Amino acid sequence: MVPLSWYLILSAALFTIGAVGVIVKRNVIAIFLCIELMLNGANLALVALSGFFGDIGGQLFVFIVMTVAAAEAAVGLAIIISIFRTRESLNVDDADTMKL
Amino acid sequence: MDTSSLGISYHAILPELITATAAIAIMVGDAVARKISRRTAGLLALAGCAGAAVAVFSLWGETGPAFYGGMIINDPLRLSFAIVFLAVSTLTVLISIRWIEDEGLPAGEYFALLMFATTGMLLMASANDLVMIFLGLEITSISTYVLCGYRRQDIRSNESAVKYFILGSFSTAFLLYGIALIYGACYISGAHPAATTNLQLIRERIADGALFSPRMLMAGAAMMIVGFGFKVATAPFHIWSPDVYQGAPTPVTAFLSTGSKAAAFASFSRVFILTFAAASVMGSPELRELQSAWTGVLAVMAILTMTIGNLVAIVQTNIKRMLAYSSIAHAGYALMGIVARDWQAVAFYMIGYAVINIGAFAVIEAIARRGDIRTSLSDYSGIGFRSLGLASVLSLFLLSLAGIPATAGFVGKLLVFKSAWGAGFHMLVVIAVINSAVSWYYYLRVIVLMFFSEPAAEFNPPSLTKSLGVALVIMAIATFYLGLLPGRALALLENAKNQATMIVAK
Repeated sequence: MVPLSWYLILSAALFTIGAVGVIVKRNVIAIFLCIELMLNGANLALVALSGFFGDIGGQLFVFIVMTVAAAEAAVGLAIIISIFRTRESLNVDDADTMKL
Repeated sequence: MDTSSLGISYHAILPELITATAAIAIMVGDAVARKISRRTAGLLALAGCAGAAVAVFSLWGETGPAFYGGMIINDPLRLSFAIVFLAVSTLTVLISIRWIEDEGLPAGEYFALLMFATTGMLLMASANDLVMIFLGLEITSISTYVLCGYRRQDIRSNESAVKYFILGSFSTAFLLYGIALIYGACYISGAHPAATTNLQLIRERIADGALFSPRMLMAGAAMMIVGFGFKVATAPFHIWSPDVYQGAPTPVTAFLSTGSKAAAFASFSRVFILTFAAASVMGSPELRELQSAWTGVLAVMAILTMTIGNLVAIVQTNIKRMLAYSSIAHAGYALMGIVARDWQAVAFYMIGYAVINIGAFAVIEAIARRGDIRTSLSDYSGIGFRSLGLASVLSLFLLSLAGIPATAGFVGKLLVFKSAWGAGFHMLVVIAVINSAVSWYYYLRVIVLMFFSEPAAEFNPPSLTKSLGVALVIMAIATFYLGLLPGRALALLENAKNQATMIVAK
């Protein structure tokens, strides 16, 4: 059987890849996908712990997280569309109206 | 588990139910009646806040076991912070009615989202489970993402929404990973093996030293500090807040800088003071080590936050951005209360800060006019005698933010400084006092600009509407009331403290 630590290492790796992606990516959509990757890294940790400990709570929590992530995606994409309409660019480096 | 032990009680969640119902009523009303008038939507929102406040007072003193299978708890922390949130929402609604009319924006969604955000904040304070904290936080965050971008045609508002959305979700992911780690760390084997996200159980297990892995708990706590740190805008996680606060519509900025900050502080106190701190008093040596580790980290964060906030505020040329940095500095002061493990001081600090900060933003909104065009500091030169009323209340709020005695800002600062001193963080208090002195410079600069410099451009004094006038009078009175006669509010909180220690001792 695959030990628990492998799952936790994989979830930490997913989370880290997502976090690094948020920092280095320049396209808003790509950044948004990296955030989803981070959330799913956390979900994997929850499911793995829940499975190994025989405790259903973690798996239920994952469903809640998925629902929330879907709501967040709906709002987030709407916001991205509205900035694309005024700015006509999805590059985050262009969003520099406010400075100092 | 039989159903009677689930603890279903509609009374326990009445405040949240009322605000959620008000939000849904506004939304449905808006859809059915094609477009409800802005006044009706605003009045519905006000009624929701008032009803929720009545519900909160009806719950006062009724501390019992947790409700809904341990998800919701009714304790002094929840009730104290609920009052802060409802005050913030009421004042925000009052200052929004005129603004939304001037801008010609749809009122239904606006007030509905505001009430949904309030519901989320109330849930964050009443949560007794990490899952509930996550849900409350997301309800608040998702509503406020939309509110930031409410002026859809304005590029600043769009940018504000995108930045808040990206960094808000980023921080949520950290919080969630922290929750996952704590969930695993608090596993116990034995006759009834279970991992848990329930804060009471987590406290008991830490106190008994019966943890699956203390290191995992440590890592989880660190991740949660990052997540909450983003939400309350503490350095080094504050970078988003100046842009978001400057670009968001002014009433929304007022709401964000007080309401969602206070909500994050409520959960912060719940997890770090009432769970981790209360547990490790009784826990093993390695848990006391964990305790001192996070206290040290938070103390350093508090110092960084107030110093960066105050120093960068000095060079700002836009008043909203200046107040955004001032808000970062104030988060640093409030964080001292968390370091000293005194959530009562934090609650009092947040109510005082809410009153004076929303007051300042209300005046800024009146002066900025349609489209948020007059927000540069130079727009304030020489307006003092042209618009004496507005300029004097703005001066009052700015002086109170700086911490002048006899106002709410002073008492709040005094309380957090006192409890940090009492807990032995002398260096922290000294640095905070120096920071406070530095902050006088940029608050006074605005007052000097208004009263003692030549008017730059033509300026027509803005006319006041009834709701804005009422809001300003309430906030001015509250500033003095909390500053001169804080006794009653403090007695309530002191009472709450005794009850809270009783609960923890049990």
